[in-house]
Amino acid sequence: MQNMKRESLVVLGVMLLGVPLLAQGRPLTVTGVRGVTFGAVLPGVPRVVLRTDPANSGQFDIKGPKGNVLLSFVLPLRMTGPVGALMPLTFGASDAGYSQTQAIGSQVGFDPKQSFTAVLPNNGRASVFVGATANPATNQRAGAYTATIILNVTVLP
Amino acid sequence: MRSITKLSLVVAAVVLTGTALQAQTNNASITATASVQTPINVVGAQQLSFGNAFPGVNKTIAATDLANAGRFDVTGQASTPVTLSFILPATLSSGGNTMPIVSYTGVHALLVTQAGGVAFSPAAGSTPTLSGTGAMFVWVGAQVQPATNQVAGVYTGSIVMTVVY
Repeated sequence: MQNMKRESLVVLGVMLLGVPLLAQGRPLTVTGVRGVTFGAVLPGVPRVVLRTDPANSGQFDIKGPKGNVLLSFVLPLRMTGPVGALMPLTFGASDAGYSQTQAIGSQVGFDPKQSFTAVLPNNGRASVFVGATANPATNQRAGAYTATIILNVTVLP
Repeated sequence: MRSITKLSLVVAAVVLTGTALQAQTNNASITATASVQTPINVVGAQQLSFGNAFPGVNKTIAATDLANAGRFDVTGQASTPVTLSFILPATLSSGGNTMPIVSYTGVHALLVTQAGGVAFSPAAGSTPTLSGTGAMFVWVGAQVQPATNQVAGVYTGSIVMTVVY
């Protein structure tokens, strides 16, 4: 009896330790590599940054267990500038791209306003690229404007 | 003992289920940045003034006439190309009477002295570049053609210049 009890506890212990490890595999990490850079923007002239722009598009790198992951963005509607001035920021239906090879030239486009299910390859590494359009008004206040773009990644069972 | 084992298995099952449902989530952020340049500002600095005109005698004001040509002063982002376009009236009005205004001419320059100025046709527009300090000056001339029976009076019209990057 004593043995059986001990055995049960051992099994339980193994499960407690083993199951989380099995479920998690590689830990999931998401890194913001590069911001979206519009550079000099003229009032009244929209500025488009394509997700395929190697210098100015935004980039996130993902590391995690191979298999399905859910990507979702938190997107700003405006950029904030001097004295609280705001500049509209828009994202098109194909302004985000997913690359299993982490190559900017090899992306599958998707709508950053919608959740997107992607597959992490065997090495567990991938990249997400993002573009956007800044829409300055004709009387847009001069100065530096910024906004934050967040990528959430969830490992799917 | 049997119930202890059963309990252990139940706990294990709960742990298994609970762990499997815990999804891994992570996130990161990047910044979008932009540097908005100086907005364009246009001021109607001087009226196009024909002075006295006599019936039957055309009168022309050249764009190079610094005293009488119309002048717009433009400021904006230094060394940046802009596009000029105009709305040009075909007639001047005095009450219900009109007088033709034709043959518009233009000069744009980086200095208010008109030094180094470039002639252009306001009807066609132009695409000059602002100076290193973001300035530009635009002059407009034209010709009025009073009829021989032109009714006396003060005739006016509006010339509108639009400047965009």
